[in-house]
Formats: sequence, C-alpha cells, structure tokens
Amino acid sequence: MSLVSPTPKFRHEALLYAGWPEFVSGTVPFIRGGVEADEAILVVVSPEKIDLLRTALDRDADRVTFANMNEVGSNPARIIPLWREFVDANAGRVPGLRGIGEPIWKGRSEDELSECQRHESLLNVAFDSGPAWQLLCPYDVAQLPTGVVVEARHSHEHLLSRSGTNQSVEFRGVEGCGAPDTRALPEPRSVAFETSIDRPSLRAIRAQLAHHASAAGLSPATSARLVTAVNEIATNSVVHGGGCGKLRMWADSSKLVCEVRDQGSIKNALADRTKPGTDPAHARGLWLANQLCDLVQIRSFDHMTVVRVHMRLGTGPRLSLVTPDDGRDGGTRN
Amino acid sequence: MKLLAARRGRQPTSRGGTIADLASESIRDPVYVDSQLVVKRTEFPLGLRFAGEIDINNSGAIARSLMTAFPNGGTPHLDFTNLVFCDISGIRALVTCAQNLGPGRVLLIHGLPEQLATVMRVTGWADLPYLEICDCEATAR
Repeated sequence: MSLVSPTPKFRHEALLYAGWPEFVSGTVPFIRGGVEADEAILVVVSPEKIDLLRTALDRDADRVTFANMNEVGSNPARIIPLWREFVDANAGRVPGLRGIGEPIWKGRSEDELSECQRHESLLNVAFDSGPAWQLLCPYDVAQLPTGVVVEARHSHEHLLSRSGTNQSVEFRGVEGCGAPDTRALPEPRSVAFETSIDRPSLRAIRAQLAHHASAAGLSPATSARLVTAVNEIATNSVVHGGGCGKLRMWADSSKLVCEVRDQGSIKNALADRTKPGTDPAHARGLWLANQLCDLVQIRSFDHMTVVRVHMRLGTGPRLSLVTPDDGRDGGTRN
Repeated sequence: MKLLAARRGRQPTSRGGTIADLASESIRDPVYVDSQLVVKRTEFPLGLRFAGEIDINNSGAIARSLMTAFPNGGTPHLDFTNLVFCDISGIRALVTCAQNLGPGRVLLIHGLPEQLATVMRVTGWADLPYLEICDCEATAR
C-alpha cells in the first residue's frame, strides 16, 4: 500500500486579527510567500489597507495586483466573479495563485453583512472543484461582533490567528455551504407598493416601479437599472416560478427594496454569480440583477423563492413613497 | 398581437414622434404591432425601426419576425431610438437573429437606449462580433 498525497485544492482561510498591526503581520508573510514562489497575487481590501500594504511590502508591492473592496464588494455577489476571473486568467500559467479578500468590515449594514457571509460560504462551492489556490480572508476580531467571527469559523476550513494555523472544526463543509439559503429576512415596517405578478401585468409593473423609484429619489438612470432587474426577476416568476408571483416595494432612510415572491425554487447556489456565456440560451436574470443593483438577497425553499433587490438612496430630498393611487391590491404573501 | 406583411417603397417618414404617433403611422405599414410595440420597415438604410417595449409578451414574435426579415444579404440596420424598454428575452431575439445572418454579416444597431446598452454590456452581449452598436444618432428613415 502506498501513501498518496492529497490533491492540491482551493484553500480558504480566515485571518483573525485585532488591529492594523496584526493585519499587516498576518497578511504580509502570506503575500511575500507568493512573491517568493512567483505566484499571481490579488489583494482586494479597502484603499486604506492597500496603502498600508504597499508601504509594508515596499518593492514587493509591484508584484501584487490590488483592487478596492469598497467598490468590488459594494455588492458582495460581485466578488466571486472577480476571483473567478483571476483564477481563469492565471491558473496553469504561473506556479501558483493566492489572494486576500476582506469583504466584511465594521459599518456594513445588516443586509450587506448577511450577504457577505453568504458570499464567504459560496466561495467554497465556487472553487472547490477547480484549480488549487489560496484565499486569505481577514476578519478584525477587535471591531466585529462575536457572531460574525463565529460565522467565519463556519465558512472557512482553515483559521489563522496569533496561535497559528488551525483547521476549523466548525467548518460546515462544502455541501453545507452550498445548501439553499433559508435565513429569515426582516419584515419591512410598511410597504409602499404591492401587486400581483403575471405575464400580462409586466408592463404595468415596470411603470409602477419607475413611478415609485422616482418618488423615492432615485435618478432616472438608477431607476432604469432597478426596473430592468426587477422585470427580469418577475419574468423568472412567470417563466419558472409557477406563472405568477407577488411584488412588494418599500424604502427606509437608506435604501429602496423590491421583493419578488413566487412558487419556484432555485437549486443552483451560484446562479446569481456565474457570468453567462454569449450563448443566448444561458440564464442571465439574477446575474444581471447583481450587476445592476446594490444588493440582491435570495432565499429559496422547496416551493417558494424570495428575491429582494436593494438600491441605496442618496442624501437628497425625497418624496413619500406612498401615494393615494399607488395600485395596492391588498393581496397577501404567498 | 398581429404580424403584418411589410409594404415596401414608401416615402421616408418624420422622426422623433411619440409612440402613439408611430402607432398611428404603423397602421399604414407596420411589420409588427401589438399593444406595447410597433415595428416598421426602413428603406434607407434597410432595416427595422422599433418603438415601445419588448418583454416576454412579444419577444417570441419579434424573434420570429427577425428570422425572416433579412433574407437577401447586406447589413440589416435596427433603429432603437424609440425603444423604451427591452428585456433579456428581447435581446436574446436580437442575438439569435444576428447569429443566424450568416458568415461575414452583422446586425447594426442605432440609437441604443442607455438601459439597453447597460444590459448588453453587463451580460457580455455588447462584444459579439456579429452585433455592432453604432454610437451615432439614429439613421433609419
């Protein structure tokens, strides 16, 4: 009997650090290891941390590609496509690949945080069967709530901290990471617009969405992006979700949210973050929503799917979303 | 929803009318008309002019129209200046039409609205070799 070395595969590791000095001491050796091995290196963190790393790395910084996580990760569902592009462009062309990505920081909204945590889980699914590479995800344990750190132990197979590298016994496994997201979504305090979705109603729904988006203060261009995204999700309800659905729309001080519910079920955990090919037959609706909107939340069950799309609101004056003739139908959630 | 035979050789019509205006014109020579879309043939250059909205309610009919609209070679021109909305199923119809034109032929789009340009860019359809987007003002008459 011979011993066979395990096949190299994707290594997803959380760096649990406290404060910026520990961020540097945790990330710089990881980067320098990649430089010495002549690997492709992509670091996606905040602009402030990019500056910090450039200073710490000195001339080695020239061997690293940096990207601004504040931009790339403003919608966390756009991060996996970036890593996919990095892996596809470099795998097999260089001795190895490694990356650093910090999608979670203090100040993320609850909704953003929730989707960042989903993103961290889905990384395991997205890259489990592909080329080997290493991704280090820093978590500032001094700034983040305990629950966030606990979840990091569930979504990362490896942990790096002051005490060294450890296997996370709490890792939920690749299969668990790809299970449908059934976490509860918070109910809105009030709903400004609610209507039924079916095939003939799509045009009227687009008009209502545009009206309410404008009333909430969205620019015409942003409103058009929202209408386009919601139309595709509503179309999915008509085509794949039992032929009909329910649309709700509301806003709070920071965002406008549209929700589509139907009786369908989304089985592909990466459906919204797999870049479609040019083949016309490829599905594009959820991908498009993530490219056009600030946040997309998908919760899918055996016979029900809920998709929420968010648009951030600016600071300018806004009119009330609720108008006397806003077309409420008094329907209930399905 | 009704497909109508195109009548050729008409005088060019004025541009920039409302959808209602175009719908009124379409009574004379629409290639396609329904409650949310009017498509008219253009002669100079050869092509089609769209006014209104395309979604899953009419994209199938548009796809069928496009498949038979340009059988004789040349470069078909599509004028989207008055296309208010087009969903993915509508763009899919365009892409399929362009794919089926044959070797060396391209589908040339004029007056692409910003909403549609954004969708085509983020879905990767803006870079297809057989679909060309002209950044001119619309030319079709």
